[in-house]
Amino acid sequence: MKRNIPVKILRWIFVFLLASFAIFPIYWMYNTSLTPLGGLFEGQNLIPPVQNSLEIFNVFFTEVPIWRWLRNSAVVALGTTISSLAMAILAAYGLSRFRFFGKGILGFALFATQMLPEALLIVPMYALFMGLGLLDGYTGLVLANTAFVMPVAVWIIKSAMDGIPYEIEEAARVDGTRRLAMLTQIMIPLTAPSIAAASVIVFFDGWNDFLFASTFVTSSEKWLATVGLASFLGEFVTPLATVFSAALVFTIPPIVFFLIMQRQIISGLTSGSVKG
Amino acid sequence: MGEHRITPYLFVGAASIYLILFTSIPLLRGFWFSFTDSFLLVPTEGKFIGLANYRRILGDSAFYSSLWTTILYTFIVVVGAVSLGLIAAIAINEKLPGRAVFRSMLTVPWAVPGVSVVLVFNWMYNYDSGVANQVTQALGIGQKGWLIDPSLGMFAVTFASIWKVFPFIMLVVLAALQSVPEELREASQVDGADRFSSFKTVVIPHLMPTIRVASLLMTIWSIRRFEIIYLLTGGGPSGATNTIVINVYKQAFESSELGRAAALGILGLLLSLSVTIVYFSVDRKNAKKETL
Repeated sequence: MKRNIPVKILRWIFVFLLASFAIFPIYWMYNTSLTPLGGLFEGQNLIPPVQNSLEIFNVFFTEVPIWRWLRNSAVVALGTTISSLAMAILAAYGLSRFRFFGKGILGFALFATQMLPEALLIVPMYALFMGLGLLDGYTGLVLANTAFVMPVAVWIIKSAMDGIPYEIEEAARVDGTRRLAMLTQIMIPLTAPSIAAASVIVFFDGWNDFLFASTFVTSSEKWLATVGLASFLGEFVTPLATVFSAALVFTIPPIVFFLIMQRQIISGLTSGSVKG
Repeated sequence: MGEHRITPYLFVGAASIYLILFTSIPLLRGFWFSFTDSFLLVPTEGKFIGLANYRRILGDSAFYSSLWTTILYTFIVVVGAVSLGLIAAIAINEKLPGRAVFRSMLTVPWAVPGVSVVLVFNWMYNYDSGVANQVTQALGIGQKGWLIDPSLGMFAVTFASIWKVFPFIMLVVLAALQSVPEELREASQVDGADRFSSFKTVVIPHLMPTIRVASLLMTIWSIRRFEIIYLLTGGGPSGATNTIVINVYKQAFESSELGRAAALGILGLLLSLSVTIVYFSVDRKNAKKETL
């Protein structure tokens, strides 16, 4: 297809501007984390005065307990991942390979969770966890996050399993392989990329959770990174460079993993949601 | 098949029981709370008070302004994110130098945690030293109170929200664009259609189902969005961004009125539910038209 050069250049410039718009706030976090206090209030420069990017890691040696926050977040995220995936893989297989009474209801329930505002469920969940003595601990957070994100994992994994031809299983069944073995030895390896994508989504759902973490956990030594970082809002003691170094250290992992897995995440989400 | 009837239930059982315990029962309990005068510290000791919570909410003009704020916020975010996502997807669908890098850059906002979005936008919107006001001053418009001025609060919050969510639309549309059959496009071009009209008659109809579902998801997500709004403005300035979800949270955890918060939450859920029902009925009509 022949097209004139100026149109191509204009389109390139347009995409460049769009991409700059997308990346700018992250760049600005980075820029702020490398700008000393004085430089911030007399008009922040587009290029940070400190050129050594590794300086953001100095945040680990400040009084901000970022290390502990990140560890707490990782514990909740890992717990959410394990509990969500264990249930989601089984459920996805059941939904993909069987017809059974109640299948439609389950499918609807999985979609309906996307509609529920956390802010509504948080009230009865708070009452429930209060009764079970799970407030101010991580179990309640894992349970609450799993309730919201496990359905998404089911969607993604089920749509991947739908794409695996039945014949593969039929062939295996002749050998007398049992259903569960079929799942672990055939379906899980074949859908591994989608399961990995689902893991990334689920893990960072726990990592990013603010609502449950700020409501259910009260003692500050148990704070997750989201709650710790949010505590900087409206507080003017911690230097902004430190605040944004901490924010960056917290933000980089999800960006890296989403970019690595973007292809699988998108194909999972689109086939899962578009086909309903 | 020789397989027992309960086999499927062994697979879906755990997830189903989990959803009943941690989604359905809390939902029913929330529904029950909405008819009581439950209080935060002793949530289970509320008395049944019938429709009093609903009557009070529906008789208060504050509810209608909150409902309107929710609709406005949702509308702006959905229209903004869908347009921007669509433009970005179309712009990046064809080959151009650095395309993979640009696509990654355009994907980044979607991966950024809400709390980080709030921290950086809060700083960019800062009255004295934020970059937004550096720009407006350079343009000669002067400093703006992005998070202080009631007429700008909604703009500030929707702008940050659109920035965060548009990549989802872009990626979904991009996936759909790559599945447009090449023959269809070529056929329409052989017919003498120029690029723009072939785009309108071939590509857009192909994208419509995707755009519709993505818009529904985006609508539902916007109605229930919490942290970006709560942390950026807390529903302010003077109620300009006080959506129903923000209201529910404040009633429950600031005023400790669980009963009223629950009733408000149920009304919010009805809003999402009606959007979904309207969507599916429109979708069915469209599907009929397309098969005719």
